[in-house]
Amino acid sequence: MLDRERKKGSAELVILSIVESRPRHGYEISKLIETRSAGQLTFHVASLYPLLYRLEERGWLQGRWVEKPGQRRRRFYGLTAEGRRVLAHQRDTWKTFVQAMRLVTGVDHA
Amino acid sequence: MPEWTAHVRPRLARLGLDPAREAEITEELSQHLDERYEELLGGGASDGDARRLALEELLEPETLANDMRPLRQANVPPPIAPGAPRRFLLSDLWQDLRYAARMVRRQPGFAAAAIVTIALGVGLNTGIFSVLNGVLFRDLPAPDAHELVSVYQTLEGVPDREGAHLGGLLSTSEYRTYRDRTQALSGIIGHSDPSRTTLGGEAPQEILGLLVTCNYFEVLRHLPAIGRGLNARDCETGATPVVVLGHELWTSAFASDREIVGRTVELNRQWLTVVGVASQGTYGGLLYRAAYFAPISAQPLLLPNENAYENDKNSWLFLIGRRSAQASLAQVRAELRVIAAQIDRQQPGRSTTLLVERATPLSMPVFRGVASIAGAVVMTAFGLVLLIACANVANLFLARATVRGREIAVRLSLGASRTRVIRQLLAESVLISIVGGALGSVLALWSFQVLVAFALPSFSPPGIPPIVLDTSPDIRVLSFTLALTFGTGMLFGLAPALHASKPDLHVVMKQDSSASGTGSRRGGRLQGTLVGVQVAVCMVLMIGAGLFVRALFAAQTVDPGFAYRDVAVASYDLASAGYDPERAAVFQSRLVEQVNALPGTEMVAYAQPPLGADSTPVRIRLSDQDVSQSRTGQLNSVSPSYFSLVGIPIVRGRTFTDAELVDDTRAAIVTETTARNYWPGQDPIGQTLLWSITPDQEATAQVVGVAKDAQVTSLGQIDAYYLYRPAAPRALPYVALLVRSRAGFASTASGIRATLRELDRGVAVRVSPLEANLEYWRNLSGSVTALAASLGALALALAAVGIYGVVSYFVSRRFREFGIRMALGASSRSVLGLILRHTMRPVAIGAVIGVAAAVAVSGVLSSVLFGVSPVDPAGLGGAAIFVLGVALAASVLAGRPATRSNLVATLRND
Repeated sequence: MLDRERKKGSAELVILSIVESRPRHGYEISKLIETRSAGQLTFHVASLYPLLYRLEERGWLQGRWVEKPGQRRRRFYGLTAEGRRVLAHQRDTWKTFVQAMRLVTGVDHA
Repeated sequence: MPEWTAHVRPRLARLGLDPAREAEITEELSQHLDERYEELLGGGASDGDARRLALEELLEPETLANDMRPLRQANVPPPIAPGAPRRFLLSDLWQDLRYAARMVRRQPGFAAAAIVTIALGVGLNTGIFSVLNGVLFRDLPAPDAHELVSVYQTLEGVPDREGAHLGGLLSTSEYRTYRDRTQALSGIIGHSDPSRTTLGGEAPQEILGLLVTCNYFEVLRHLPAIGRGLNARDCETGATPVVVLGHELWTSAFASDREIVGRTVELNRQWLTVVGVASQGTYGGLLYRAAYFAPISAQPLLLPNENAYENDKNSWLFLIGRRSAQASLAQVRAELRVIAAQIDRQQPGRSTTLLVERATPLSMPVFRGVASIAGAVVMTAFGLVLLIACANVANLFLARATVRGREIAVRLSLGASRTRVIRQLLAESVLISIVGGALGSVLALWSFQVLVAFALPSFSPPGIPPIVLDTSPDIRVLSFTLALTFGTGMLFGLAPALHASKPDLHVVMKQDSSASGTGSRRGGRLQGTLVGVQVAVCMVLMIGAGLFVRALFAAQTVDPGFAYRDVAVASYDLASAGYDPERAAVFQSRLVEQVNALPGTEMVAYAQPPLGADSTPVRIRLSDQDVSQSRTGQLNSVSPSYFSLVGIPIVRGRTFTDAELVDDTRAAIVTETTARNYWPGQDPIGQTLLWSITPDQEATAQVVGVAKDAQVTSLGQIDAYYLYRPAAPRALPYVALLVRSRAGFASTASGIRATLRELDRGVAVRVSPLEANLEYWRNLSGSVTALAASLGALALALAAVGIYGVVSYFVSRRFREFGIRMALGASSRSVLGLILRHTMRPVAIGAVIGVAAAVAVSGVLSSVLFGVSPVDPAGLGGAAIFVLGVALAASVLAGRPATRSNLVATLRND
C-alpha cells in the first residue's frame, strides 16, 4: 500500500480523475478508487467526505442532491470548469514528477 | 437497516456547523454506511460483523472532526434568535452593546437627555474627587513616588516633649536613629514645617522655606534645575551655610538669573550661599511650594528663637522614606517598629506608636483626619446630586421600557430568558452611562483644574501663600470615574430593567403599541418611589443649602463685637528678623512713638489682631483644679490701649497699666464667657488661674478686668476660654501693630512702611486693613455657600425635570381617559386635581422623609455653620415650601395638556 503522505498528496488528483467522466456519489467514488487501484488505494468515510467538501469549497467539485423515483436521494459530485482546469494541471505536474523520480532513482514504472 | 445517526452526530457536534448542513452531512454519511453494510452482508458477513466493519469506516472518533475543522462550513456562528440558550458570554455582550447603540441612535432626544443628566452627575463627582485625590490620595510629586512612605509617631510617657502638638513629628536624634538603622528603606529624609522667613533685599519679603536633611534631593530623586542639591557636607557643623532656591522664588525674585549659583542671599538676616536651584515641581513640604531648601543644621542660624535642631525633646521633622526595591510596606513597618522599640528601651516610660503609610501630600494624621471628614461631607453632598440624576434617568428608562413593553413581551414569549432581557436593557443603560460619564469626566477634569486654581487663593488666610493642589487625573481618579460610571449605569438601569422584564404577556400583547405597556400599577408605584427619593434627597440638599445661605447672610451682617473700620494692621516678624526680646521691645516702643506722630493717627496698640491667621493656644485651669481638668483656650498679648482701639469694652475692672508690661506680671483680663465658665455668680476680679503655653512652664494670673465677648478667633464663634495678657517684652516678637487713623488706609499704610524702613530696612512688613481679616472669613463662608447653593439649585432643577417627566408620562398614558372624563362633563380643574393627587403624594412623602433627614444632617452641619442653630425652623420650612412649590409647578405644567384634551381628536388618533 502506498504510504500515507503520498496518498494524501495525490488524493485530490485521484478524486478529480474519478469524477471526470460523469458526476458520482460518495460511495461510488470510494468503490471506484478501490477497484481501479486494485485495492491499493482505499478511502474511508471519515477521510473521503472531508476531502469532497474541501474540493467543493474550493469550487473544483459541485455537489448536487439527486432524487430518483423509489430511491433515497443521493448527493452527486461533478467537476466544475475550474476543477477540470486544475485536473489537467495536476496531471501534468504528476507526470513530470513521476518521470523525474524514475530518472533519478532508476526505478522502472513505479 | 442500522441507525447510524447516533454514531455520526457526536463526531460532528463540536464543529459548529449550521444545523441544516449538519443534517445534510449526517444523511450523506449514513447512506454511505448503509451501502457499505449491505455490501458486507452480500459478501456473507453476519449482521453484527457487517455493522462493526461499516462503523470502522468512521475510524477514530476524532478523525472526521479533525479533517473537517479547516473547512469554511465549520465554525459557523450560531443564528441570532431571541432567547437562544446562552453559549458565548462575550459575543453576547458585544451583541447587546451593538443593539443598545442602535436603540440609542434611534431615539436621540431620549439619549441626549439621559447622557447630559449623567454627564452632570458623574462629572461633578469626578471633579470633586480629583480635588480630594490631590489632597488625600495622590503620590508626592517625585519620581517613583509609589516607593515613598511617610513616618509619623505618637508618644506616650514623655510629658516634657516640645512641639508634640504638631501631631506626630520627630526630633533630629530620632530621625538619625531611623536613618542609620533602617535596611528596608533605601533612604529617609526629614523636613521642617514650612517656616516663614524674611528674604532681605531692596524690599524685604516674607517667604515660606523648608529646612531639610541633606539627602533630601537624593532620596526624593529631584534633580536641581541648575547648580547642585544639598550634600552631606552641607549638614556638617561648621560648614558654610548654603541654600537651594525654589524654582518659583528664583523666577520671581531673581529673574531666573543663571549666574545665581555661588552668590549669597539674605534670609532672616543671615547670608547663605546659593548652591543650586530646585527644578520646577520639586516637593516643597505638605501642599506648599517651598521658596528655599536649607540644611536642617541651619536652623539655629535661621530661626534662633526655636530650639529644635539640637534639642532631643523637640518634635519638628516630617519623615519621608524610600522603600528599597525588595521591601514591602509591611516589611518597612515591621522594621521601623523594631527601631522604635529600641528607642523606647533607652527612655524608660516612653511608648512610641508609629504610623507608616504611603506618602501623600497631606499625610499628617491631624490634617488627614480633618480633611477626610470634610471630604466625606462634600462627597456625600455631590453623591446625592448624582443619586437624583440617576433617579431621573431611571424614570426616563422606566417610561421608555413601558413603551417598549410589546417588544420585550415578544422576546419573552419567543423564549428569551428574563436574565437575557435584563442584560439587554442593562447594556443600554451602561452604554448611556459610559458616554455620559466620559463626557462629564473630561469636562469636569478640565473645568475643575481651572476652578481650583482660581479658588485656592481665597482659602488661604491673609499672609499665607496659597497651597498648591494637583488635580490632574491619575489612575485613582480614572478608576473612581470608571467605577462610578458603571455603578451609575447599574443603578439607574437595574430597577427599570427588572420591572420591564416582568410584564403580564397576555395583557401587553393584546394592547396596541401606543397604549400603556407593562402592568401600569406596578410601573406607577416604581416611578412614584423614584420621585419620592428625588424629592427627599433634593430636600436634604436644599435645606442644607438654605442653612448655608442663612449662615452667609449672618456672616455678612454680623457684628463681630469689635470695631474693624479705619484700623490698619502692620505685621512683621521680628523673630525671623533676628530680634531678641530686649531689642524687640526697644524697636516696638520707637515704632509706636513714630507711628503715633503720623498725621491722622488716633491710637496705636499691639496685639495679635482679631481674626488673624496667628493664634496662641493656651491651657488654663483654676489653682484648685487638677492638670487633667485644664481647658484649651486662646491667649492674646495686648498693650493697654488695645481694648479701646478695637472697641471691646472692659465691662468690669480695668485694662492693663503700662507698669504691667513686664514679663513677670500676673495681671490678666478674661472675657465675660470665661468668667461665667469659671466663676458663675461670683466676682471674677481678683480671682487667680494657672495658664501655660508649653507643658513645663505654668504661670499664675490674677484677673484685673473682664472684657466683653467678641468673635476674635473665628467669625461667628465666641471662645469659651480666652485670656488677655499684657504684651510683655517676651511676647513682643510675635505681635502686630494696630493703628487707628483718620487718614485713610492708603496713607496710613505708606506711613507705617516708611517708618519701619527708617527703623530697620531688613524687616519685612505687611500692612493690611483689619477689615481684610473679616473679609477672609466672609469669603470663605461665601465660597462654601456658593458651592452648597449651586448644588442645591442643581438638585432642585434635576428633581423638577424628573417630576415634570413623570407627570407628562402619566398624563400621556391616560390621555384618552382624561378626554372621556371631560367629554362626560368633568371640569379641567377636577382633571388637574386628579393628576396632582396622583403625583403630589410621592412628592409629599419624599418631602417628609427629606425634612427628617435634613434635621439629622443639619446637626452635623451646625458644627461648621456660622450663627445658625442646628434646627432652624425658618430655613427648614423655607426650603421645604420652595421644593414643594417647584414640584407643584412642574406637575401643573406637565398636567395642563390633559385639561385641554379633546375627545374627538383623541379618539381619531386611535
